Amino acid sequence: MQLSLITALALLVLTAVGFLAGRSRALALAEKDGSRLHSLPGYHGYYVALWAGLPGFAVLAAYALAGTMIVNTIVLDRMERAAEPLQARYELALANDDIWSEAEREIARLDDEMAALRGEAEQVIAAEGVQSDAVEALRARQDELQFAQDDARFTRDARANTIAGDIIQAVPEAGDHALARAGFEFARLPVQEREVFLADARALAFGDGLASRDTPELRATAGALQPVHSAIAWGACLGALGLALAGLAFARTHLAVRFRARNRVEWVISATLALASLIAILTTLGIVFSLLFESLRFFAAIDWRVADFLFGTQWSPQTAIRPGQIGQSGSFGAVPLFAGTALITLIAMMVAAPVGLFAAIYLSEYADSRVRAWAKPALEILAGVPTVVYGFFALLTVGPLLRDFALFLGYEDAVTQSALSAGLVMGVMIIPFVSSLSDDVINAVPQSLRDGAYAMGATKSETIRHVVFPAALPGIVGALLLAVSRAVGETMIVVMAAGQAANLTANPLESVTTITVQIVTLLTGDQEFNSPKTLSAFALGLVLFVLTLILNIIALRVVQSYREKYD
Amino acid sequence: MGAIALAIAFLGVLLGTIVLQASGAFTNYVLTLPVTLEREIADPRGDMSEASLRRGSYNQLIQRSLQSEFPAASSRADLRELFGLYSGLNAASVMHRVIADPSLVGSTIDVTMPANHEIDLYLKGVTVEESITAGSGTIQAGAISGDITLSSDSPAFANAIARIRQQASSERDALLGRAARLEADAAGAASRDAREAGLAAARRAREEAARFDTVIDPETRITLGPRTASLLIRLNGGVVAVSALTPDGREAEGRVLLPLESAEASASWSEWVIETPAAARRITDQQAVYARALEERGMVERRFNTNLFLNADSREPELAGVMGAFIGSVLTMLVTMLLAVPIGVGTAIYLEEFAPKNRLTGFIEVNINNLAAVPSIVFGLLGLAVFINTFGMPRSAPLVGGFVLALMTLPTVIISSRAALRAVPPSIREAALGIGASRTQAVFQHVLPLAMPGILTGSIIGLAQALGETAPLLMIGMVAFVADAPSLGLSGLTQPSTVMPVQVFLWSGASERAFEMRTAAAILVLLTLMIIFNAAAIILRRRFERRW
Amino acid sequence: MADSAAPAHTAKTVYHSVANTHPVKVAASGVEVFYADKQALHGINLDIQDRSVTAFIGPSGCGKSTFLRCINRMNDTIDTARVAGSIRIDDEEINDRAVDPVLLRARVGMVFQKPNPFPKSIYDNVAYGPRIHGLASGKDELDAIVETSLKKAGLWDEVADRLDQPGNSLSGGQQQRLVIARAIAVNPEVILMDEPCSALDPIATARIEELIDELRENYCLIIVTHSMAQAARVSQMTAFFHLGHLVEYGPTEEIFTNPRDRRTQDYITGRFG
Repeated sequence: MQLSLITALALLVLTAVGFLAGRSRALALAEKDGSRLHSLPGYHGYYVALWAGLPGFAVLAAYALAGTMIVNTIVLDRMERAAEPLQARYELALANDDIWSEAEREIARLDDEMAALRGEAEQVIAAEGVQSDAVEALRARQDELQFAQDDARFTRDARANTIAGDIIQAVPEAGDHALARAGFEFARLPVQEREVFLADARALAFGDGLASRDTPELRATAGALQPVHSAIAWGACLGALGLALAGLAFARTHLAVRFRARNRVEWVISATLALASLIAILTTLGIVFSLLFESLRFFAAIDWRVADFLFGTQWSPQTAIRPGQIGQSGSFGAVPLFAGTALITLIAMMVAAPVGLFAAIYLSEYADSRVRAWAKPALEILAGVPTVVYGFFALLTVGPLLRDFALFLGYEDAVTQSALSAGLVMGVMIIPFVSSLSDDVINAVPQSLRDGAYAMGATKSETIRHVVFPAALPGIVGALLLAVSRAVGETMIVVMAAGQAANLTANPLESVTTITVQIVTLLTGDQEFNSPKTLSAFALGLVLFVLTLILNIIALRVVQSYREKYD
Repeated sequence: MGAIALAIAFLGVLLGTIVLQASGAFTNYVLTLPVTLEREIADPRGDMSEASLRRGSYNQLIQRSLQSEFPAASSRADLRELFGLYSGLNAASVMHRVIADPSLVGSTIDVTMPANHEIDLYLKGVTVEESITAGSGTIQAGAISGDITLSSDSPAFANAIARIRQQASSERDALLGRAARLEADAAGAASRDAREAGLAAARRAREEAARFDTVIDPETRITLGPRTASLLIRLNGGVVAVSALTPDGREAEGRVLLPLESAEASASWSEWVIETPAAARRITDQQAVYARALEERGMVERRFNTNLFLNADSREPELAGVMGAFIGSVLTMLVTMLLAVPIGVGTAIYLEEFAPKNRLTGFIEVNINNLAAVPSIVFGLLGLAVFINTFGMPRSAPLVGGFVLALMTLPTVIISSRAALRAVPPSIREAALGIGASRTQAVFQHVLPLAMPGILTGSIIGLAQALGETAPLLMIGMVAFVADAPSLGLSGLTQPSTVMPVQVFLWSGASERAFEMRTAAAILVLLTLMIIFNAAAIILRRRFERRW
Repeated sequence: MADSAAPAHTAKTVYHSVANTHPVKVAASGVEVFYADKQALHGINLDIQDRSVTAFIGPSGCGKSTFLRCINRMNDTIDTARVAGSIRIDDEEINDRAVDPVLLRARVGMVFQKPNPFPKSIYDNVAYGPRIHGLASGKDELDAIVETSLKKAGLWDEVADRLDQPGNSLSGGQQQRLVIARAIAVNPEVILMDEPCSALDPIATARIEELIDELRENYCLIIVTHSMAQAARVSQMTAFFHLGHLVEYGPTEEIFTNPRDRRTQDYITGRFG
């Protein structure tokens, strides 16, 4: 870290030197030649500075990104080779060990048996359905087999550990042998513990962070890491500096009176700007691919029952499912989520659409400038309030109020977290969104249309109802679609105020759950990655993304064609 | 007009309720105790080294000090209630003081610490209703401590009895009414199950109502319990909790909560009624007595709540503050700003000033418009899948949070920057190009400076959005409970932390009542920040707005 | 109206004989300009003399401004524009790929329809060009350039004591002279003016016309104008454009007194335009 920091500073210095060298050389050239430079001396300076700085920093950045990985790969490879004799001895010992071989055979046998059972189960399910007694019996049988296999695995692993321990005992702790032991131990570690092992070794070697353990094997690994690390670090840093010097010298030879330094420097600038604009595309690609990839893993985990996911009515992802478990279906049916999202969105739009629209019509057609000066900032503040604040408001004020009101009206099952309170508050949140978009749309209606109506003797409200509103309608529809997309994707209000229960209901006083709530629920708290439960959040995310994307594209199209009509 | 009024009324109600809820959080009751730092407890190894001082049992010292205030508290139960007046976590601050100045060991220092949040709420009068009325007649205590009998020649307790009976009968009536309603509903219930459930609920209500019968019956002894109001008698500088009263109002049995100075008969006594039943509150009679006693001795006072602003999060509401989240927000916003603004402005300049109008740039435009409308939570999923799972960046870190929010803010910055650039009239570009400036020179030396106020306004609004964003940060694990504020520097970028809006979310889900008002206070802090951001944007816009 | 009055198919230009008092500065041959698929200029052949004022006249949309913008390659800044043919300045082909349009624009200054000073000080407006072209090696030299340019533009006396005030604070006519000073400051050989007086009042216009006449001694000036009277007042040569064609070109006097093409005649007599 120190070394690369010093190198970075040195590169900065070299870049500055490059600038000065370039500029002074350009001035000298102009003096000698007696004619004007094509580009200002400063551009010659920048040109040389770029040649000096860019390659060097690129090398340094590459080292920062991949350096650790390269060092680890080299050292692990070395450890693996050192451990080869031990590994061979270990494998031979395992093959000759009766207990281990017996357990291994048992596991394979049970695998076959379970596969057969699953085949049988499919037939039974096809014939009698998932809920039959026969399937229940098969399921019990599968659990039995699974337990037996777990036992066998335990026996096998315990035996393997004993044998590995014996082998390690026979190797001395010192010198090269230590590295062999480290390699052997590392190879036997489960994947997630390997990272810890490496982190500990690095902590011992470089003192970055605290090591959780300190064993001879870790020490050996650390010892192996150090020289490789310093070799690569020195290589990268000297390479960067060398490249910088070479670039500087190379660029300096280019300089001439007619040399178009400015054009070169400007090319670099515009290329950088173009690269920046690619980030937006990369973000979209990142979203699409990460959602697709994780969703595919999810669908693979539920045996490609995509229809069950999209049309199933039972949502209980908390039920852990084992791979290949018989007849476990229906727990990932997302319809209650879609229904809850739709219900809340509907309620929100019932609030936001009329209020937002009337506010926009009032502001653009009736309000005088004094009212506008007050109302617009107020709406902006309403738009700027973080959604978590709305959520708190819904949870602590609106929710209890509605519940008490429902109780007062004699509805006994009223709850604090209800679709109604979330929907109402979300509606309030969306009002400024609807009103500002509609305001734009209404303002885009040309004055000539209004003048035409007034000229025919129409009153103000007639003009608005018969001329302005119809003319603005497509734009307003677009604005409302954008608002719907906003409501569908809103998270915090529903997380706090709508509840978690996956009820399939149209009753706004019950608590419902939405796509976004479930994504949050599934991905916060303790989570094991790769479980279908966690992955299902990405499938929900994909649905959400596609849904909002479709709404946005339609809305943007509508709004755009509307704008073009009056531009 | 109505629509606008409605929208503004919503805003008013929203802000009003939050300010109202938050108001209690800005002050809290603090407990100041003289704590003697006994050498053998503060410095167990006896060498005054830091390691030794760190092992000192400072909580024990605080406990001793508190115990010396109430020497009568000796049973385990008493002590538990006494030590419940504050959180043991406060010992840490004593330890830090001692480590900073080891010469304190052996001396007596004043330790000021926030009272337990339930005590605080009680003293503020938020959770518990109580009243104190002067008693009439002379009463005589049987002893000065322990379980005692209070007797009087006159029906001194008649008032109290009347009040208790009235309360009991109104509660009984309410229960009976509910039972009747349940029975009526059950009679008309659709299914058998519903009917039986309704009847069972009614039966339970009736049983509960029957418990009040003994209290209401004028002939029987009245016993007070956790479901009734508590009656405390203040007499001779002590307090007695009454557990039973004779119906004639001449005798009361009770336990002494605060020792009396003497057992003399006295006419100057008062009834202290805690109307909220013990079962419905989180502090005991004994704790209420301790708290009031300390208040009278001047050891408890209400102060401005500095913890709320200077501390990081804590499990104890009285120690919890927004500092950790604030620093987390600052770090996250720094990362967001450093990424989103240059990249966003660069993209805007490229698209507006340099890019040829072709399919690719058209695609980029559509792309940006769509990204602007993608739900924020999707960006969180992106961050989780790409930054954390693929690139192995740390969870809960401001660095990753900043990345995610930067991607989310990017479209806003791009769109507003493009609008600002477009607002610069083409004649400026022509003028520069006409005297031989290159396109880059024209853009960077003339167009960009003129568009800068607009770009800054848009960027600030984008950052304000990011500042209030919660959902994507939940995805990348910034919801962790973080009791230590991250350090304000480069290393803080990868330490686990949280941000202001997430802190609001976390606190709003906490069960302690005291967190409710702290949530509202945190919201006010957050809104203040947002208002500062937005005001900056508005001022920039007003000041540099240029009409061409 | 315009279309009915003129036979649009005639592509042949009428050239009046010219006394070669000055050498040719700008020589255009076969210049064609397309905006996307639309052809805006058809085969323009035109020689423009140094140290004189040449006026381009014609009805709106006739291509005179388009041609003007070819001379300093301002059309390069429009994505859809495509230029064909040859334009030579001092025998150097400016459409050559080796020519840097940026440097060309320093040699060929331009003044636009609406005065467009930079929103900076008067001094910075004039000094900007010399700065980016490295014309001055020190502060004193730069001051001298600013002063001479402003003097040449006839603005020095009015602004000498307030050089640090913003250029936009001047009146319209002063702004236009500031822009001319800005163009002069980079030492151009040719100055293009695109309707320089159309946004000005008569008095300011007269002042600019005077200035144009003075500048003729040192520069090759080309001016696009809507006003025939102005063309007659300031120019020595006049070119009449119509529908993307160069219709007639010759000494101003002859064009106005003895136009040979029907369309020129109709335009000058006010039948269309």
